[in-house]
Amino acid sequence: MNHLLEVDDVSKSFGGHAVVRHVSFVLDAGASLGLVGSNGAGKTTLFRCIAGELPIDSGSILLDGAALPSRPDARARRGIARTFQIVELFGGQTVLDHVLVALQAHQGRQGPWRDLVHGGRTSSSEREKCMNILALVGLADRAEIPATTLSLGDRRAVELARALVGEPRLLLADEPSSGLDGEESRILIRILNRVRKETGVAVILVDHDLGTVKAVADTVIAMDAGAVIAAGSYETVVSNPQVMSSWLGQSS
Amino acid sequence: MSEFFSFVLQNVPWGCTFALVAVGLVLTYRATGVFNFGFGAEAYAAGVIYAELYWHGVDRLWAAILVVVVIAPLFGVLLDWGLFSRIPPGNSMAKIVTSLGVMVVLPSVVQIFVGATNVSAPPAPLFNEYLPVWHIGSGPLFVSGSELTTMLATAIVLVVLMLGLRSRRFGLPMRAAVESPKLLELMGVNAKRVSRGSWMLATMLAGLAGVLFAPTETPVSANNYSVILVAAIAAAALGALRSLPLAVVGGVALGVVQGVVQGYVASDSVWYQALVPSLPFFILLVLLLVHPGMRRLENRNDPMSGVEPPAPPPALALRPPHINRVIHRFRWLVLGTVTLVVITFTPGPWIAALTIGASFSVIFLSITLITGLAGQLSLAQAAFAGVGAATTAQLAVNENVPVLIAAVAGAVVAGLGGWVASLPALRLRGLPVTLLTLCLALLADNLIFPTSWIGGGDNGLNVPRPHIFGIDFTAVDSKPFLLLSLAVLLAVSGVVHVLLRGTTGRALSAVHVSPVGAASAGVSVRRLTMFVFFLSAAIAGIGGALFAMSYLQESPSDFNWFFGPTFLVIVVTVGATTVEGAIEAGFGYALIAQALTYLPSTVSTNTNATQGALTVLILSVGAFTYATHPEGIVEAVKRSLARTVFRAVPANPAERQTRGVS
Repeated sequence: MNHLLEVDDVSKSFGGHAVVRHVSFVLDAGASLGLVGSNGAGKTTLFRCIAGELPIDSGSILLDGAALPSRPDARARRGIARTFQIVELFGGQTVLDHVLVALQAHQGRQGPWRDLVHGGRTSSSEREKCMNILALVGLADRAEIPATTLSLGDRRAVELARALVGEPRLLLADEPSSGLDGEESRILIRILNRVRKETGVAVILVDHDLGTVKAVADTVIAMDAGAVIAAGSYETVVSNPQVMSSWLGQSS
Repeated sequence: MSEFFSFVLQNVPWGCTFALVAVGLVLTYRATGVFNFGFGAEAYAAGVIYAELYWHGVDRLWAAILVVVVIAPLFGVLLDWGLFSRIPPGNSMAKIVTSLGVMVVLPSVVQIFVGATNVSAPPAPLFNEYLPVWHIGSGPLFVSGSELTTMLATAIVLVVLMLGLRSRRFGLPMRAAVESPKLLELMGVNAKRVSRGSWMLATMLAGLAGVLFAPTETPVSANNYSVILVAAIAAAALGALRSLPLAVVGGVALGVVQGVVQGYVASDSVWYQALVPSLPFFILLVLLLVHPGMRRLENRNDPMSGVEPPAPPPALALRPPHINRVIHRFRWLVLGTVTLVVITFTPGPWIAALTIGASFSVIFLSITLITGLAGQLSLAQAAFAGVGAATTAQLAVNENVPVLIAAVAGAVVAGLGGWVASLPALRLRGLPVTLLTLCLALLADNLIFPTSWIGGGDNGLNVPRPHIFGIDFTAVDSKPFLLLSLAVLLAVSGVVHVLLRGTTGRALSAVHVSPVGAASAGVSVRRLTMFVFFLSAAIAGIGGALFAMSYLQESPSDFNWFFGPTFLVIVVTVGATTVEGAIEAGFGYALIAQALTYLPSTVSTNTNATQGALTVLILSVGAFTYATHPEGIVEAVKRSLARTVFRAVPANPAERQTRGVS
């Protein structure tokens, strides 16, 4: 029962087509895991199952040995945060607003009664905490700018800040380097590693960019056709013949 | 048994009318991506033009041809060029608002020209009105000329459209233009021309429906067309707005079932009055809840959406701060001056108009909350106001509850109604929510308000005004009552303002823009949705109670379903994202109507109808600019003025981006 996350024999299918098949793994607090596989391997579906966006058909997902609530917002408040492959920002809101929304939701301070009592104002402690997180991801100087006007790399950083402000124990990062150039990817890797070091959050990372996976993940799981085909260190997995034939054939 | 068949056969033509309109709705939706709430209005306009042409001596067949083949498609070109081609494919909210704008504005325009009740029904374009009587079984079956024409037209339209939509030459580009005009253009097809053709075809169908329905009832009235439209929505929903044959089957079946029920239920029973007209709305409600195709209506992705200009972000964040500063600095001065003017100089009729304006403002603030902030296009806010008014009246008149306490109870009952509405709305998003709220408003209109123990019967109830501190509030132009109304408005405005700028507003706007992103941030989408439905309905309920007190009367027709879209369009036009937008809209609505009473009788012969139509027209025509100014046209003018006066350009980068300035 020492594990942070236990995924046990999880399966998920759509209309009879099995997308995730009997997947099991565990993740310890503060650890990081890379999920790799070709398109359609079931990585994102597994991700969405862990985040609570999709119900699983069978198996179990436990956090700290306890079953998780079914809705994604309740899971987020229990400590599972996520970022998205296609960035999901709140158009029209500033960078700071994004972080405030998440902070207030996690602290249970979101609601009409609080607004009526406080006149809708934000407390200085809330603001300070948000600014600290923004500083961590390198956005402190752009807190008042509408988030959708930033570059893709910065927008991904906004998502990261929004995910981290609730002090999650597990961060699910869905293809964080997708669409970024080499320099932006390197900055993002630096931010992710800094975040891991300073907050101790465990990370599950899905990415097609093996450089990012290698730089962030302690262990790697390779998936193919919904099933786990290899697990271990980055070097072990990428040298696995089954992995090479299923996905890495040409690129390795 | 033969009686049963007789009921069935007699109602097939009626069902064909539903079917024809349902086919028009499905075609418009499939070929243009717009759920055309304006279809009934377009058909009404066509019906009126057909009738006017006929009564001015044009041969009925030629008049019909002129309307369907020339005028209607030209109107389609106008709609496409002026309105719908300017909306990006992904902006479904703008499409709904614009078509609601057509639904509200077009009948007003027609009524300004011909009056609301002045057009007599013309004969059908084909066949003599009374055809030979056919004998089916034991009883005779009458088929009128208009009925036979409708059945023939439905069959022909169905066959032609099914073949056309399946064809590679016409159907394929039409469907592709809805999914992604840019992608279609990359294939070498002129997407604009395709879209224009689709609109011409869609308005031709509306024209045909209008011409065919005009002979059935005198006078040719907008309300009759609206009733058919909403019944046809239920028929179209059977095929999830995509299947033409199912729309026809649904339409005919609906007409037949309605006729059979009508045939077997005693005409003096409550069921006859309430159940028969409500049947289509029940069916639509059930389809919205259980039909997977209806729930997935909004799941549409344009693969080329990245190359379209991004949808404008919610406007609240883009407002130049100077406007808020000016309001903040001068609000008490303005309020004091208004109060002073009211209690000293204002003449009686204007006091009454201002009192009504205050109650409208409160109702409109409920729209600010649910539409401006939460992004839900609710057509039921007028119905919630009606619930508040009816509860207040019943408690105050029949239970002798002090009227202010009754008004609070009315707000709570309306709020609970809103909460109940939120439960199905949790599973829906976008257009289905709009249809759901339309359904609820129609059910309230047909089932709840007409009952004497709720709506107070045909004549309604006389609502008292409060008696507090020995002040007399009872005169129609009572200044103390106006001040009381303004105080209520101030309190509700304060609540909405605080919610807009606080944690609730931020979270609601997040849920509106990205429900999945908001959920990942820990925001409880469920709780917020239920809350916003409850509170907005409660606020509408307070407004309704104030309205009833202002008129000293509550009547079942005060808040009929058509006020739902009208109110929504008016608020969206003026500005749905700010508190002062709702207040301007509320007072504008009442004061423009009051000002129009000074119109010389030479300008308007049918004074009441023309005044009503003109008021709606003046305040709602700006809805057509929603695609470019989702903040409301009046709000856009304010922003522009603020920039000029305070030299507050260049606005923030997001706005520059949406305006295409690099």
